[in-house]
Amino acid sequence: MRDVYVVGVGSTKYGKMRESVREGAALAALEAIENSKIDPRLIDGAFIANAFAVTERQGHVGPLVMSALGIPEKPASTIEAACASGASAFREAVVNVAGGFADAYMAIGVEKVSTLDTITATGYFAMGSDFVYEGACGASFPGLYAMLARAHMQRYGTTEEQLAAVAVKNHANAKHNEKAHFQKEITAEMHKESMVVSSPLRLYDACPFSDGAAAAIVATKEVAQRLGGPMIKVAGMGRAGSVASLPDRVATDLTTLPGAKLAMKQALDRWGKPASKIDFAEVHDCFTIAEIIASEDLGFFAPGTGAKAVEAGETKIGGRIPINPSGGLKAKGHPVGATGVGQIYEIYNQLAGKVNPARQVRGAKVGLAHNVGATGGSVAVTILEVEN
Amino acid sequence: MSSEQTVFTMEDAKQARKDGKLMGWKCAQCGHTQATPMFICSKDMGRKIETVELPGEGEIVDFTVQKISSEDFINDVPFAFVLVKLTNGVHISGWVPDIARDRDLPLGTKVRYTPSYRPGIMFEKA
Repeated sequence: MRDVYVVGVGSTKYGKMRESVREGAALAALEAIENSKIDPRLIDGAFIANAFAVTERQGHVGPLVMSALGIPEKPASTIEAACASGASAFREAVVNVAGGFADAYMAIGVEKVSTLDTITATGYFAMGSDFVYEGACGASFPGLYAMLARAHMQRYGTTEEQLAAVAVKNHANAKHNEKAHFQKEITAEMHKESMVVSSPLRLYDACPFSDGAAAAIVATKEVAQRLGGPMIKVAGMGRAGSVASLPDRVATDLTTLPGAKLAMKQALDRWGKPASKIDFAEVHDCFTIAEIIASEDLGFFAPGTGAKAVEAGETKIGGRIPINPSGGLKAKGHPVGATGVGQIYEIYNQLAGKVNPARQVRGAKVGLAHNVGATGGSVAVTILEVEN
Repeated sequence: MSSEQTVFTMEDAKQARKDGKLMGWKCAQCGHTQATPMFICSKDMGRKIETVELPGEGEIVDFTVQKISSEDFINDVPFAFVLVKLTNGVHISGWVPDIARDRDLPLGTKVRYTPSYRPGIMFEKA
């Protein structure tokens, strides 16, 4: 198996995108191509992460993106794993290069949902649940994570104030991220006064519906060295699943996503080092409770202590293990298919020292991405490391 | 094996619910039973799966009061999406209408499956 490097990344601003899905995807890819200085003809193909292009009545979007990039002869297929589509597409691009099937490959994530009203978008997102047993029984996505939140509160005494601490931190980070959906700070009081969406979760516990696109190009060591950019290696990768339907999982434990633990173990085994050697992480905080659970599943904090850690400031930039310096899904935004690739964008730029100094994790050499589909049916963990 | 003859589908379970019966899938080898379809048992990899009727009564083990929902439930908010532990220990999901506040449905509340023309699997307080 060959070593694989991230050679370039790109991203649109998250929020409301004027461009169509194909144009947004192509713009993010163009930025990655320009940053990496790679000749697009050397990219052997792409995986597109997208969940809802059908809202534009557009299936089979990959070839349209490749045509727009001037390389219509290169293959592109869509990967769908709900909100983990991005990391899943990235993984398949890495596998192609690692396995020797390609020397350079691209992952592009893209989503456009701003054309939908809130009720319709809620219905679309519910399709990522076990629809017959969850969505069709009235569960929205906030509703499903509310079940995890109540379980965590019951078992560990996690409080609404601790959930608010996640939201406040991530908004503070996103204030300095020019590509974030929300570049504004919020307070714990604003969280407390926001409406209950799915008890115990409030509006300010939830990520927004966002449009956006992100791209990452991966290549062999030889190609990476020739391009002359920072040498940022895909040091570890894990991809796992969990029982996807909450009624089938509640008998065991709803305070953890088993697939996240498994994906983390795979990634660390590949890397050969412990979680304590990771400098910062971008985790899947679709809801505040999800970040707390992630911080425990990834082994940064013991089960039941993640909420106290965020309250104590341990996950702030400058803390013991900064989490979501980009602002996370909560404030940077969550354009479903783009999210996992956008995490790679953030980690690459952090490791390359290219982000706004106000949210730069100083001296970071290793970053981790944790991307989740639904309530853990799909989970991907990726570790990137600067190679000196 | 002809699937037409042997597979009890989610659609069959839906039809049974109209007659007031909750149905589940059971591993003939180890007895593991769940309310969602299975073809190989995750507990012991058994492949002989039977269909069983589940009890219609149970208690709330987790819930959320939905203030915003999809179009199918637009006239039902607020209501509770619930996870119910049935009296035989099997868990199933569903919803309880007319729940506006957390204190209206404490954990442990006894509920009963209620056939309805409304969507999903509806329970009411027992």
